[in-house]
Amino acid sequence: MKKFCFLMFIGVLSVLYVQQAAAQKQSHKDYADMKLSECNECHKGEGIAPNHDADWVRGHRTVASRAGHNCGECHKQSFCLDCHSGGGIDAKLETDAARLNYIPKSHRSDFISIHPIKALDNPQSCTRCHDQKYCNECHGRFPKGGMRIRSHLMGATGIDSSKFGDHAIEARRNLQSCASCHPDGDVCIQCHSSGQVRPHPKSWKAGNFRERTDGKVCRKCHLPGTY
Amino acid sequence: MGVYLKRMLLLMSLFCCSTSAWGAEIHGRSSTQFMFFQNDLLERRQATVAEYLRIAITNIDKDGKFNIYGYGRGHQDFNAGEGGGMRLYYLYGDYRNLFDKIDFRIGRQFVNLAAGSAIIDGAQVTLKNVGPVAFTVLGGRDVIFGETGELGDGTNTALGLAANLEGFQKTDLELSWFRKYDLGDIARDQLGGAFKQYLFNSVRLYGNARYDLVTETFNEVQAGVKYFPTARLIFTGEWFQSYPTFDTTSIYSVFAVDRYQEALFRVDYTINEMFSVNGGYTREFFEDDDAANVYHVGVGVRPIEPLRVNVEYDNRQGYNGSLSGVMVDAAYDLNGKAELAGGFTYDAYQRDSLTNEEIARRYWLGGKYKLAKNMAVSGRIQNDVNVHYEENVSGRLVFDYDF
Repeated sequence: MKKFCFLMFIGVLSVLYVQQAAAQKQSHKDYADMKLSECNECHKGEGIAPNHDADWVRGHRTVASRAGHNCGECHKQSFCLDCHSGGGIDAKLETDAARLNYIPKSHRSDFISIHPIKALDNPQSCTRCHDQKYCNECHGRFPKGGMRIRSHLMGATGIDSSKFGDHAIEARRNLQSCASCHPDGDVCIQCHSSGQVRPHPKSWKAGNFRERTDGKVCRKCHLPGTY
Repeated sequence: MGVYLKRMLLLMSLFCCSTSAWGAEIHGRSSTQFMFFQNDLLERRQATVAEYLRIAITNIDKDGKFNIYGYGRGHQDFNAGEGGGMRLYYLYGDYRNLFDKIDFRIGRQFVNLAAGSAIIDGAQVTLKNVGPVAFTVLGGRDVIFGETGELGDGTNTALGLAANLEGFQKTDLELSWFRKYDLGDIARDQLGGAFKQYLFNSVRLYGNARYDLVTETFNEVQAGVKYFPTARLIFTGEWFQSYPTFDTTSIYSVFAVDRYQEALFRVDYTINEMFSVNGGYTREFFEDDDAANVYHVGVGVRPIEPLRVNVEYDNRQGYNGSLSGVMVDAAYDLNGKAELAGGFTYDAYQRDSLTNEEIARRYWLGGKYKLAKNMAVSGRIQNDVNVHYEENVSGRLVFDYDF
């Protein structure tokens, strides 16, 4: 009897779910000029979460995913690219765009000084809009020892060796910052090449790299045939 | 850039020629902008004129299925020696509903899959209305923009495949694969998934994941829930983790990295048309028990219809430095034709114990005037005062024309 009730329960739920889920999405083209507050009232009525709230910048990634996305019914691609790829054709008065590329609100005040802090509020966030080469454009101009990084502090005859031990922690937490000044990793492989300090993670998948790069990246540290 | 642009324009013109002329309509925006600012890369002041142009050519064919969209910029610097340049953001032909089953886009375009996104010079084809699943295939040259020009070359290409549910009002699911090539090698090889489900008319479950096929790790996982008992009140709880990964062509792709995690809780409440508030807390977890706390509070006030004021306060304390700051923006609509705006930002930050606390301030004023229904002039001037500058004035003057 219990099994029967359980199966009935699952069956009823499935029917309800399919009825609910199979309802078609509605085109939004006709609503493009409406006030957001009016959109939200309707969304709530349909059981859809208001999705243009104050959390939109942080949370729009899932909304804009391919499944069910209908951003294009109201927005042009320039709406995405002004932020993601630098533009400024629709810059509002509050938008800092006193240079060629629109600057998102997340890049607040003196972002040159603040970005090392913000870059660790999710280390992947920078690369959503910027390629690693973008960082190198600026960081590549700094003289050796010019960056204020704990493990790079200079002693009387070069880098202070007592602080240099911290570089492992710094690097594992924000390897992008290493790459921004040392794009080729030349200083890293002085100690981390074959036979020295192993840089690979525990679950290292050497074969995957061999296949995809024909061993080019392996040969930066290993002799041919030894990896 | 020039070669690719010429090829693209040639391709698009062939497309245009191949379609019958049916009284096509051209709409868009021209934005002419003069801007002056300190170029920190060149360490010189710069005065630049830029022309942004966005066009949509529609109704090219009888049924209105084929349209062309474009967006680009040309700029010329006058005093810093940077010269001029161009950037083509997109220029693509978009054909919808071929046999009511196929959409395709050809040209430069922004593509976005759960597994990865890019601007490509190429094509995207979607097969739809063949059941509960739609399929997408895309590929082309991977366009990488730098601060002023393009950084990639002809060996940078991107490929993607996706399958997503369609026709379900309250369920969204996408599974995709994305690959990038650099210098003939596979630089990125990723699987992605995105999911949304609405429940009980007041809950949204969502998730997002990227799996790196090279390192065989989930380089990003996000899972969250939104609870919205009314249209004006939203509670969000979310968890996120990442393992930063690099292109396989980079030596950094072989290095071990730490996992980063964060847990977020926030509330957004629109009390009425005049008053809205939001607040959030994020706990950031680094390895070896290091952590940071981020608090956020925001208030939006509209005491009278033409005036709106927004205030945001952020406070971050913990590993890798502290940052505490407030941003205030205000705008006043004078008569439907003119708008005045202004604001300031105040940030106090300290990167680590080796550095002092430093303060950065920004003050700005702006105004906009509609000359006609389709024409407007606007301007903004700002001053930055911080550790680098006692005074750093920058601004822009804009003329927008919609056609």
